[in-house]
Amino acid sequence: MLLEVGGLVKRYKTKDRQIVEAVRGIRFTLSAGTILAFLGPNGAGKTTTIKMIAGLVRPDDGDVTVEGHSLSGRSGQALRHLGAVLEGSRNLYWRLTPLENFEYWGGIRGLSRKTARDHGRELMREFGLEDKIGSTVQQLSRGMQQQVAICAALIHSPSLLLLDEPTLGLDLDASDRIQDYVLRLAHERGVGILLTTHQMEVAQTLADRISIIQSGVLTLEGFKEDVLARFTGSSYVFELAEAPSAEARILADNLGAAWTSECEFRVVLDRPTDVYEIMRALEPCSVVRVMRETADLATVFREHTRKSVSMESVREVTA
Amino acid sequence: MLHALRAEWRREWVQLRRYPTELLSELAVIVLVFYGLFLGGSYMAGGAILGGRLSDIIVGYALWTLSMMSIGTMGWTISNEAQNGTLEQVFMSPYGASLILLLRNMANVVIGLLFTILTLFSVMAITGHYLFVSPWDMVPGLLMIASATGLGYLVASVTILMKRSQQFLNLLQFILLFLIMAPTANLGGAWRWLAIMAPFSPVVALLRSMMTQGSALFGAGDWLLWSVVNAVLWLLIGLLVFGWAQKKARRRGNLSHY
Repeated sequence: MLLEVGGLVKRYKTKDRQIVEAVRGIRFTLSAGTILAFLGPNGAGKTTTIKMIAGLVRPDDGDVTVEGHSLSGRSGQALRHLGAVLEGSRNLYWRLTPLENFEYWGGIRGLSRKTARDHGRELMREFGLEDKIGSTVQQLSRGMQQQVAICAALIHSPSLLLLDEPTLGLDLDASDRIQDYVLRLAHERGVGILLTTHQMEVAQTLADRISIIQSGVLTLEGFKEDVLARFTGSSYVFELAEAPSAEARILADNLGAAWTSECEFRVVLDRPTDVYEIMRALEPCSVVRVMRETADLATVFREHTRKSVSMESVREVTA
Repeated sequence: MLHALRAEWRREWVQLRRYPTELLSELAVIVLVFYGLFLGGSYMAGGAILGGRLSDIIVGYALWTLSMMSIGTMGWTISNEAQNGTLEQVFMSPYGASLILLLRNMANVVIGLLFTILTLFSVMAITGHYLFVSPWDMVPGLLMIASATGLGYLVASVTILMKRSQQFLNLLQFILLFLIMAPTANLGGAWRWLAIMAPFSPVVALLRSMMTQGSALFGAGDWLLWSVVNAVLWLLIGLLVFGWAQKKARRRGNLSHY
């Protein structure tokens, strides 16, 4: 297993000497080539968990292993397999060019100058930024800086990449480039990616697995499709070729139709086969499209986190 | 590790080169300081050349500057990296922050030494007086820098725990100045241990013996031995305290948010 997070606990002492449990026994795994979206409201414990995985915060209990190397034991070995772009911090010196940054960050991870330069050039080419290699980082746009930051985090070819809000504040083009790259990185090159973001559409596009943390506890975990399916209701949208007759409309109303326009209504069905019954009721008016409404990640997140978390029933594992 | 040292060296060098006006003005200031020392020394000697004594003054000044740089660099690096937002990435290096700080300090000392040598040659060319600095003078210099590195780790420890260390650094400089000025080498009895254990004290006694009495490096009693012991001791203390401070900072979670 690429990453194993085993029962992490972190307590902080507040200024008035109260003990606050920021993370309470978090446990999950991440395999190579998988993107795990680690989601949660502000203050849920995401950043603390990510920093414990990066070795920046020492857990009070539990351990993290990367490629079988424990962070509390052989942290140097574990850190060799780890790259990170953390929100609120940088992995670039702004007065240096991207290439000089790659030489430095590669060097302090044990790469020779030539290897770091060659790999850096290759990464910049993949982002279409090869013509920016000679500009200092401060001369680049925000989007380009973020792409170079990802290149710097990948300079030593880590097998695990931590991405904290990688597309925050970026324009659509830069955001799309990063998302495309992250998908290729995981699915074509087998890099495991732990992603945290508040941008649910980004998480939905990228993630293979979803975890939600609330009040320091993992409250939902599973494959994206399973998580979305759990929250997908039996609601269907019918789109008609023309406005139906008054009789057909009454029949549809009797079956619970909620009209959104002259030619479109939404209905909740007990069984999927009830769709045919409605189509027959609407005859001779023809149905252009029937669509089963699927939940998006934003809806899942909202619905899930709206529930209060009780410590006794904290873990709902769907897969 | 060699790659990391080279990376630190290149980073320092590139940053120096990128802003040539900053580099030139820094060089000009150092040349002026050394030229002032040279003129002052000559003036105090009544126009006569101070010969070996003057070289001692200049060597002493250069060592003091390099040592102070070693002490300050680590603390400054931590607060500067934290303000830049790059501190966390430095701490994520598989080599560990202690080694990265040491390598950065070494890169800084080498650059500082190059500046000093360049300056010295400039001053000698301007004045037409050539000083003789024995290569043996480098040994106490290196021991002094090793002690200074240990103290630098202490400043760095204060910085990662307290976030700021400027006042601690100022206080430390005063204490060191006192230890250098005070004739601790003449202390007897139990006080002699102060002269042996206090940072810089034995190496200053060694330098004094070499400079004022013209003793050879190995002919200054046991001060060379105590200087080595002292340098190793302070380097170890610094490393141990920094290791403890890192653990504490990681436990508190305050490696960022400066």
